[in-house]
Amino acid sequence: MSGHAHYREAHPLVFVITHYINLICMIMLAFSGFYIHFPFFNGFMGVARGMHFVAMYVIIINLTFRIIAAFFVKTATQLGSRAVDTDIKNWLPQEENKHQFLETVKYYLFLRKEGVISAKYGSLQKIAYLATIPLTYLQAYTGFAIYGPTMNMGFFSGGLEMVGGPMNMRIIHYFMMWVFIVFTMIHAYLANIYNLNPSKIIFLWKETDH
Amino acid sequence: MAQEAHGALHDLLEVRGVTRRDFLKYCGSVAAALGLSETMAPQIAAALEGAPKLLPALWINGGSCTGCTESIAQVDSPDVATIVLDYLSFDYFETIMATAGTQAEHNITKRVEEGGYIVIYEGSVMTGFDGRTLTAGAPDKTGLAILEEVASNALAVLAVGSCAVDGGWVKAHPNPAGATGVAAYLQSKNIKTPVVNLPTCPVNPEWIVAMVVQLLLVADRDVAKFVAATKWVTRDYTDEVTKEKVGLLMPAGIYGQSIHDNCPRRGHFENGEFVSKLGSKEEAMGYCLYKVGCKGPQTFTQCPVTRWNRRASWCVEAGSPCIGCGGLNWVDNNAPFLMRMSDMQLDGVLGLGNVQPGTAAAVVGGVAAAALVAHGLGMNAAGRVGDGPPMETAKAYDRKRAAKKGGDK
Repeated sequence: MSGHAHYREAHPLVFVITHYINLICMIMLAFSGFYIHFPFFNGFMGVARGMHFVAMYVIIINLTFRIIAAFFVKTATQLGSRAVDTDIKNWLPQEENKHQFLETVKYYLFLRKEGVISAKYGSLQKIAYLATIPLTYLQAYTGFAIYGPTMNMGFFSGGLEMVGGPMNMRIIHYFMMWVFIVFTMIHAYLANIYNLNPSKIIFLWKETDH
Repeated sequence: MAQEAHGALHDLLEVRGVTRRDFLKYCGSVAAALGLSETMAPQIAAALEGAPKLLPALWINGGSCTGCTESIAQVDSPDVATIVLDYLSFDYFETIMATAGTQAEHNITKRVEEGGYIVIYEGSVMTGFDGRTLTAGAPDKTGLAILEEVASNALAVLAVGSCAVDGGWVKAHPNPAGATGVAAYLQSKNIKTPVVNLPTCPVNPEWIVAMVVQLLLVADRDVAKFVAATKWVTRDYTDEVTKEKVGLLMPAGIYGQSIHDNCPRRGHFENGEFVSKLGSKEEAMGYCLYKVGCKGPQTFTQCPVTRWNRRASWCVEAGSPCIGCGGLNWVDNNAPFLMRMSDMQLDGVLGLGNVQPGTAAAVVGGVAAAALVAHGLGMNAAGRVGDGPPMETAKAYDRKRAAKKGGDK
């Protein structure tokens, strides 16, 4: 699962950049979000709010671009391979992911010894990556629903009514940030548990042989 | 007629020590509450002075602390609000009326028969205890029966105070009284009388006056005209007690903007200048009360503009965070009042009681981090770190199926 090479075909430059944008925006969003939730030092509220809004627009545009680009950019179909195909095919579940979900869970729970055959990503990994898409949009939605200028628009006020008012929406927004924090923790951990080569390719665009 | 009324009002004001100037200033405040320009003050003054006759009104007390009555009755004389409210003729007002017993009950019955009155309802509608609450007079004359009786033939119902709007603090979890709001209850009984909702705890007397002026004088007692002439915001909610989906009608001039947006401390919010402790120097300096739990950003009332206690001051100006009393389900949504977020009521979940979302999130985050560390140690112990585990040559699924009919490959 890990003793493989990391080639640039797995992460073409454009996706290295979108990944950087995601990372930077997420850090800015979480930091400014925590500050807006509870200002732990003085003198930053105006900046924090500005940062929160700008980073949100950027990450939403970036995500939308990333999804569209998946239909045009070619990426590696397998780990440690230079063979490429349209990215969306490698992003969605591939043939090799079929029937492997439970086996992957077993592997991570130490219930089996051998690594699990997977395609570009494992079954769990694909579920997690795909889940972040609606979650990111939903997080923006919950944010707009507690944002003064937009909360009275029907699209958002309907959601407010559904959850029982802005306070509950605020709490949902807050919890969802924690979902992203926990996702990031697991993501960084699993990506780098075997060695740091995955970070070298995604951050430095540096290829490594196994 | 108008001239007579002018004279009558003028004398009345003079007796109470209110100057013409005070009266016009007050009319300007009413104009602002109605969302009209202050240049409308003379017209409102003229309308008040020319009011042809008293509008009959029934003030009904529901399940509450009677704080809304206090809010209105405790204004110190002379007060313009008191005088203008004298233009309502209260046929029934438990707290302050002189009549009692059968005579008082008769006043209700007679008024309902004659029609042409408004109902001001204070307090929650208590559906719990089989409805046997707030009984007055005959044993079967429960609070619910009285409300249905008076609302059915009224021009309009003013639901004053948060209790009357959606149950207020009386309906706070776990709501043993089955408290709900007037609009939801009347809707569940199919009574179509329009309900105007004036939340906050207690209600601000000037907002009642604004609505009375609007109905009595601007709309000339015509409810259809009153509804059409007023700008409204509709707050949709689903009532837990009656299961009704209600669109609460509130005057937009009063409930259209958040407290945060009109707050005199708002500049300090943007600057990031906060009060960390009540009673501190920062509080006296007018710094923002956000950190000590101010609910102004999610509470939509005109408190900073109208203010309270004869426009002397209001909560935030006096140094207390807004506790969100003008919102829906306000106690559950805002308690604890000095915290940024409301508690999650988890008494049904492992008996956890009330938990702050921040605590819950930190626990989940901490457990996740600890689990990853433990997992990492396990991965290391299993010899997977480095080159990874030996890989399977075929999927477990295929291996199992191979014996039968071939699997995926």
